[in-house]
Amino acid sequence: MSLEILLALLAATVQAGTPILYATLGEILTEKGGVLNLGVEGMMLVGALAGFLTALHTGSPALAFMAGGLAGAGMAALHGVVCIWFQGNQTVSGLALTIFGTGLAGFFGTPYVGRTAPGFDKFSLPVLGDIPLVGDIFFQQDALVYVSYLIPPLMWAFFRYTRWGLGVRAAGESPAATRAAGLNVLGFRWAALLGGGVLVGFGGSYLSLAYTHLWTNGLSSGRGWIAVALVIFAFWRPSRAMLGAYLFGGVMAFQLRLQAMGTALPSSILLMLPYVLTIAALAFSSWRSKRTEAPAALGVNVEPSE
Amino acid sequence: MTPSTPAVGLRGITKVFGSVRANNAISLDIHAGRIKALLGENGAGKSTLMSILAGHYLPDAGEILIDGRPCHLRSTKDAIKAGIGMVYQHFMLVEAMTVAENVFLGQEPGFLLSPKAMREQVRALAGSFGLDVDPDARVADLSMGEKQRVEILKLLQRESRILIFDEPTAVLTPQESEQLFAALRSMAAQGKAIVYISHKLGEVMALADEIAILRRGEVVDEVPAAEVHSQSDLARRMVGREVLLEVTREPVELRQNVLRLSGVRAGVMRDASLSLRQGEILAVVGVAGNGQKELVETVCGLRAPEAGEVSVLGKSWQAFFADPSWQGGLSYIPEDRQGLAVCKGMDLVDNFLLTTRKGYSSTVWLQRDKAAAVAKELVEQFKVSPPDVTSQARQLSGGNLQKMVLAREFHRRPRLIVAEQPTQGLDVSAIEEVWATLLAAREEAGILLVTGDLSEALALADRIAVMFGGEIVDIFPADDRQRVDRIGQMMAGMKPDAEH
Repeated sequence: MSLEILLALLAATVQAGTPILYATLGEILTEKGGVLNLGVEGMMLVGALAGFLTALHTGSPALAFMAGGLAGAGMAALHGVVCIWFQGNQTVSGLALTIFGTGLAGFFGTPYVGRTAPGFDKFSLPVLGDIPLVGDIFFQQDALVYVSYLIPPLMWAFFRYTRWGLGVRAAGESPAATRAAGLNVLGFRWAALLGGGVLVGFGGSYLSLAYTHLWTNGLSSGRGWIAVALVIFAFWRPSRAMLGAYLFGGVMAFQLRLQAMGTALPSSILLMLPYVLTIAALAFSSWRSKRTEAPAALGVNVEPSE
Repeated sequence: MTPSTPAVGLRGITKVFGSVRANNAISLDIHAGRIKALLGENGAGKSTLMSILAGHYLPDAGEILIDGRPCHLRSTKDAIKAGIGMVYQHFMLVEAMTVAENVFLGQEPGFLLSPKAMREQVRALAGSFGLDVDPDARVADLSMGEKQRVEILKLLQRESRILIFDEPTAVLTPQESEQLFAALRSMAAQGKAIVYISHKLGEVMALADEIAILRRGEVVDEVPAAEVHSQSDLARRMVGREVLLEVTREPVELRQNVLRLSGVRAGVMRDASLSLRQGEILAVVGVAGNGQKELVETVCGLRAPEAGEVSVLGKSWQAFFADPSWQGGLSYIPEDRQGLAVCKGMDLVDNFLLTTRKGYSSTVWLQRDKAAAVAKELVEQFKVSPPDVTSQARQLSGGNLQKMVLAREFHRRPRLIVAEQPTQGLDVSAIEEVWATLLAAREEAGILLVTGDLSEALALADRIAVMFGGEIVDIFPADDRQRVDRIGQMMAGMKPDAEH
């Protein structure tokens, strides 16, 4: 394989990994606050559609990206009403959210199947884009990819160096202790859930605005579930989420290339690869982690007393 | 005593839950710079009173004065603002975060945090009150004593002036308790008002400046500690009758061997050898985490010995636990009553059947009616309250749950009993009953008593084994005064035969 093909493959890897990265970071933020949200897949689809429709009608990709985030937050708010407000079961609510989101995006999206909308195009960043190899892979992408580079370090610093980050972590680890410290547990949980919803929505709208510029039903094709699995693989750490997302992006990009090149392998086997990798990654991370890294109160509802 | 305004004045505090008057017209003064002990049996209303002060409940009647001014404490936030802080029995800590992060949670100086500044501040604070703990350690990695220090540091960091401690030594080793007492005295000396809730008479006498005694929701007595002459004096005031804390122990004829360990290794426990005969109590003492847990788990079949020989009731470990009989065998009374001894959500009959089901089944069917009748008898005989076998285990108080567990286990007529902290968290009269039951059980069984309470070991045991660093340092008769006096040193790792 020549260097040129390899560089193209790696650049495609970054692009394919970006929507997964957004979604994984969103779910990390949500789960750090103690709420398990299995609705990522549905939220991504709704975010993708909201972004696509906004781009189609306003012609502004930036506005469309924001609309995708907002739609993700809206979906997360539904989850919050069920789980934070009414103390419902988080697993069931999350699964319902995925089914609901898939149906919603399919229902309103079907008339637009095959239509194209303005989106984000690739451009080379000054200076950085000229670095050999690294520039070719990382800095000749679209604006949303560049934005995604900033989020993991910001999120890491948020958890470690800010008052709110400490509060979110505490709300996910020990609601009782957080409350005893005089903090508003449910407030932190809402904030983490909605903030995470925005990121997941971003991930969805990346699919319709940058990855493709057109609408098809089922655009996310399981990426939301991969993100949920990647949270565990990443040990709830933003930096490892980046590694995981690009690993999956790589497999996705690779199998597409293989299909395009016309290999003897049946395409269904190739399409399976990312999901096989999901299972392998989960098994690997369970085997590797010495203690459980999950927030201790993940999925545990909190009574709204006081 | 100065006639100055008390830091906290409680005036006629009354709190009613359903038909129970948990607090009835309680009036108390808590002064800065002094340690006030609240002494009372389980259910006397101590915790309710302090929960009111910590802002968890609003009183139905009465008034709280902070520095002489009436104050409504509607939430924990209000209490924190008023300078009241509470160290709960169950720690309110975030296990996955560091000590410094826990101390600063909810009282961060600004939006951005500086781990370095937080670390230094916690270290300085810890130093000034003698609360030794590493600010960078993860709370999950700390001992119970260290976790408690973190709780105290949280209160000191927010400059609480009134510190409430709810049974703080229940989870501590003797050494850790001593450290805590020193810290409490240091805090009082620096002007904090300390409230110390306990039912341990010795501690209260050693520590408190004033003692308030609660019984059935009322303050029945309030005395300066200096005027209390003996523990039995205090106990009499507390329960309204003389409690025999010195149980009479008649020697029982020793019969056959029921447990023998030689050179056993399991986890941190190394080279453990001991033997136990029917008719005696062997107390195992030591700082928690020095191999006692491994010892108990090995003897009770929860953990296979990695090396050495274990024989239980004359059979090898393998053979005994391959087919343990439900009667005349081994009974385990675990420390974790709620978790290991019972299923919280099941009723008393089902809990009774947990260890006795082999005796109450024909072919594949359980004879539940027969079991219910026996359970009912036992509940009456052991005075378990409520005396209703259809109540769930979770509805029983700690003392009653323990009585239920003892009733069940003694019904099996065990010949070997492993009792782990059997009186932890129980009130004086319940302790007395448990002790009497264990002493009576010696007639039929050998008892391995693992306890963190030295006075319990001395009151009950015929022989005492001291554990340190996974090894049994020494085993000696309980009437060997010289070696009994050196138990503290042995628990700290000094060799029994070394000159000090």
